[in-house]
Amino acid sequence: MTHPNLESQLDAYLDGELAEAEGRELESHLAQCPECTRFLDSRLALRSAIHARIAALRAPAALRQRVRSLSRRVRMPVIWRSLAIAASLAVVAFGGWQLGLRRGVGEGETGETLAEAVLTSHIRSLMPGHLTDVQSSDQHTVKPWFNGKLDYSPPVYDFAGRGYPLLGGRLDYIGGRSVGALVYGRRQHLINVLLWPTGRGGSADGAATQTRQGYHLVHWASPDYEHWVVSDLGLAELQDFSRLLQQADSVH
Amino acid sequence: MEFAAVVLPHLDAAYTLARYLTRNDADAQDVVQDAALRALKYFGGFRGTTGSDGRAWFLAIVRNTAYTWRHRQQGTAPVTEFNEELHSDDVAPTDPAAAMDLREAVDALPLEFREVIVLRELEGLSYKEISDVTGVPVGTVMSRLSRARKRLQRALAVPAQERT
Repeated sequence: MTHPNLESQLDAYLDGELAEAEGRELESHLAQCPECTRFLDSRLALRSAIHARIAALRAPAALRQRVRSLSRRVRMPVIWRSLAIAASLAVVAFGGWQLGLRRGVGEGETGETLAEAVLTSHIRSLMPGHLTDVQSSDQHTVKPWFNGKLDYSPPVYDFAGRGYPLLGGRLDYIGGRSVGALVYGRRQHLINVLLWPTGRGGSADGAATQTRQGYHLVHWASPDYEHWVVSDLGLAELQDFSRLLQQADSVH
Repeated sequence: MEFAAVVLPHLDAAYTLARYLTRNDADAQDVVQDAALRALKYFGGFRGTTGSDGRAWFLAIVRNTAYTWRHRQQGTAPVTEFNEELHSDDVAPTDPAAAMDLREAVDALPLEFREVIVLRELEGLSYKEISDVTGVPVGTVMSRLSRARKRLQRALAVPAQERT
């Protein structure tokens, strides 16, 4: 081979990766260079040998099954939990920015369990077919859909004008009861809003935020409902969205 | 796109890559499962990117998982880092009588050559996609692929450019 610098060019040519002009240039060289032509032939022979004798493999059925069932796993694998711990330590180091839960509902074990259940609901909703039971950007389609499925009628808004379009709703099961979940979008992100009637009433201020496994959760109690908002969206935007919800609730 | 809809269609490709990188079925399965967990964890990051079918994204995670796995296997033993110069094309021509089986020849390639061969020849990825998966520039993908093929030809004693 007298043109070693051409070898990778010739390979790229065979792979269809050469720009058209370069390709034409190479072809005119090939027309007068038997050595490069022989080189190409040998590469073609190698390629046929590879394709004839080495096949892409198929994933074993057991592996496929395990990956499929990962989606349904609730407990986090050890490595994630250590990552989550590292993340929350970092948060603490950043000056107690993690506010914790407030107002009774969120305090102590119940709040922990609820936050976990809300996060699990969010992660589960990202699995195929789990996001929405009713898929619509029309609040007047989504709200009536809950009739007869819940003993309350969750307020549904469309903030498409503010960049948070309504995507739909679904039924979920949190803290031992059926609850309504509303799904909103923000660019490529999904936001889950879970809400259910509050037993004790309250005011709409004092939303608490926390971060778990890379997801942000915002929680508050309005006079009528417990609200949990969860997403992988940045915290500032998620708080902005939560304020929109609170404003809408206070008006309606 | 939902997680399983993004990952499951590429499970064969993921397993093939992991199988060739680890050279072992059980390890390949562990690597793919671990990679799927990481993919699930970072799915939010993928959802944020557009214009991708998820194959390069998932294969990159599989590839990185396999590399991590390999470092664990080797423990604290000193590792010869891959070196573009060191692993050049100057391989001693193989005795034709000792010509290897093609599969063995692929398995005998340095990891950095093996992965480009698998991604290109078995999975049909473009140079750009291989660059995305391996994290090396397209030009490097191009030269590694060419060198890897040269090594395979020598190992197999496929008549090539011996006559100069």
